[in-house]
Amino acid sequence: MNHTPTTEQRLWMYRHMVLSRYLEERIESLYMEGKTPVFNMAKGPIPGEMHLSNGQEPCAVGVCVHLTPEDIVTATHRPHHIAVAKGVDLDAMVAEIFGKATGLAGGRGGHMHLFDAKVNFSCSGIIGEGLGPAVGAALSRKLQGKPGVAVAFMGEGAANQGAFHEALNLAAVWQLPVVFVIEDNAWGISVAKQASTAVPRNDRRASAYGMPGVHVADNDVEAIFSAAGDAIARAREGQGPTLIEIETARLAGHFMGDGEDYRPKGEKEGLKQRDPIPRYRRQLLDAELLDDISDTDLVEQAHARIEAAIRFAQDSEFLPPEAALEMVFV
Amino acid sequence: MSTAITVPDDLWEGDSEGVITAWLVNDGAEVAQGDLVAEVMVEKAQYEIEAPAAGVLTIAKQEDEVVEKGETIASLES
Amino acid sequence: MSMTTTGAGTRKLTIARAMAEATAQEMRNDPRVFVMGEDVGPLGGVFGNTRGLYDEFGAERVRDTPISETAFIGAAVGAASDGMRPIVELMFVDFFGVCMDAIYNLMAKNIYFSGGKVKVPMVLMTSTGGGYSDAGQHSQCLYGTFAHLPGMKVVAPSNAYDAKGLMTAAIRDDNPVVFMYHKSLQGMGWLGTEKGATVPVPEESYALEIGKATVVREGHDVTLVSLAAGVHHCLRAAQALEDEGFSAEVVDLRSLVPLDRETIRASVAKTGRLIVVDEDYHSYGVSGEIIASVVEHDHACLKAAPRRVAYPDIPIPFAPTMEQWALPNADKIVDAFHQMMLS
Repeated sequence: MNHTPTTEQRLWMYRHMVLSRYLEERIESLYMEGKTPVFNMAKGPIPGEMHLSNGQEPCAVGVCVHLTPEDIVTATHRPHHIAVAKGVDLDAMVAEIFGKATGLAGGRGGHMHLFDAKVNFSCSGIIGEGLGPAVGAALSRKLQGKPGVAVAFMGEGAANQGAFHEALNLAAVWQLPVVFVIEDNAWGISVAKQASTAVPRNDRRASAYGMPGVHVADNDVEAIFSAAGDAIARAREGQGPTLIEIETARLAGHFMGDGEDYRPKGEKEGLKQRDPIPRYRRQLLDAELLDDISDTDLVEQAHARIEAAIRFAQDSEFLPPEAALEMVFV
Repeated sequence: MSTAITVPDDLWEGDSEGVITAWLVNDGAEVAQGDLVAEVMVEKAQYEIEAPAAGVLTIAKQEDEVVEKGETIASLES
Repeated sequence: MSMTTTGAGTRKLTIARAMAEATAQEMRNDPRVFVMGEDVGPLGGVFGNTRGLYDEFGAERVRDTPISETAFIGAAVGAASDGMRPIVELMFVDFFGVCMDAIYNLMAKNIYFSGGKVKVPMVLMTSTGGGYSDAGQHSQCLYGTFAHLPGMKVVAPSNAYDAKGLMTAAIRDDNPVVFMYHKSLQGMGWLGTEKGATVPVPEESYALEIGKATVVREGHDVTLVSLAAGVHHCLRAAQALEDEGFSAEVVDLRSLVPLDRETIRASVAKTGRLIVVDEDYHSYGVSGEIIASVVEHDHACLKAAPRRVAYPDIPIPFAPTMEQWALPNADKIVDAFHQMMLS
């Protein structure tokens, strides 16, 4: 199979990485409003925990470029890049992050609990808990005779949860159209992967469940594209699940406010030097698929789109508090 | 003799301001050198302030007040 | 044991430090005590309650775990049964869903199933509570859930003095103890700490008896019963009621299992009125149990129907407008008292 992206796919991946990154840059500064100099999580226009995904954008775009709105994605507590790449309604997503009435859940869920049924996207704040639902959605499609694959994203820490092993086995024994994607950013909060994981690479665990395991090094957009394209094609053809582990990078802390003292000196600077977005931009410029003018246009358009979503969120109202009582049989 | 308790210049990296989240000794109490007297927070990281000398504590910066590196937050009389 | 008075010369601790100090003192005295959990090592716990332990005791006794709660809580049960005294941390109580079998089918039942021949001397410490917009998977209290299931002691301190004494007692206990600490009391400034939780704490080791409530404020018009953060809401409400000329007694439960029904009944027998304040869900929980404990004992002592100020039966919403509206607070307690006096 030829898994070289078309020009259109390349630009789509680049544009969605730029969109996600700019969204998070804006969230980062808005999140800090009301939180300096005293960092109280309850304060500011975006209260609560905030898990940024900057650095991990290649995982999202390299996988989601192969998906249609009908395909299913379950994501993690660090969901923004995947939501952007899956085509989640940006206005409603940002409004949800602000807790507004126009948000995906009217403000009930917040940034760790984004659901957009129109594009079959959901996420959860509990580690490893997206895998079971992905398996089940794939089973549902099989039972209904409907097309579609399910992709479960997770961090490398989730591969040590029971749910990971149970879900992989179930997907394999029933030969379901699922792709399991591990975003290995090397850290589970403060605990390094090598201190928590018995094997250096989680893709090797695929052999325990009789499915292909694929490793993608160096946060490489097009290598992810290729691996994911292969796995998703296999799933669509009824050849069962695949496990992919991607070496990626968390350029920020586990959550905003993280002192990151656990990182070895210089690690973060090194990761920033390898920031995947400037790298991919360079690649596209060198391939003459992009020039400075078209790049500026693309970036400006992405920024304008995000600014519009933020304005939409800021201009929206909160639901009346009593709306908290809806839908749960009080 | 009076000794100032200041926020050490090397307590955290960068020049962000911090906030006193807790005084662990009451105003007017006697403390020994090296006693933990206060906690200062910068974003989510917490840092400890120890008494540089023995003496009776007079608090100058209260809980929830914002402090800079080098700033005097209390004094010790001995 | 009564609370030490606040005064000059008295050292204060946050609950986080009090928990760590109690743990360190027990670890120095008893080589069987060790700590396991996510980020409990060099980081010192996301909520600060293992700070300093890794530096003093090293990686062998202060063990960062993989994100594998079923494995390491199950492992604590096994280690405890084999003569160790593990302290394990479930970072957020909300995460109990991934590992409850180890907790309630093993930790809670193995002593009983062995006819008392197997001991399970372990502490499961876990953070509770919201109020800072962390939404429905990171803000619950679940006091009632744990207290409902037989076989484990459950404690929830409201201040650092109790936290140290209860932690020491929990570690020394031959039974499993669930130690539930509320994030807003922990002394982490980024969680907007309740000042009243940081109180004088003796440096020497001491244990508080698990299963004893305490009257933290005396009064004669109404009994306010709560635990953890709710105690501080009650104390503020009691102050507001005093300004109106009413005298409220505040009972801090400290322990849910065993539950000190005597102290609650004695207080309500004196005041004739009962309001229970609970940040856990309203139905099938702590508040209903407290009221039942009074009413089934003596309904004639009540001058008014008891009331509860509890969390509505909804998943905890993210939006601060909704979450703050749903949380118990002092105003709601005062309102409940006013309603009680009207009816």
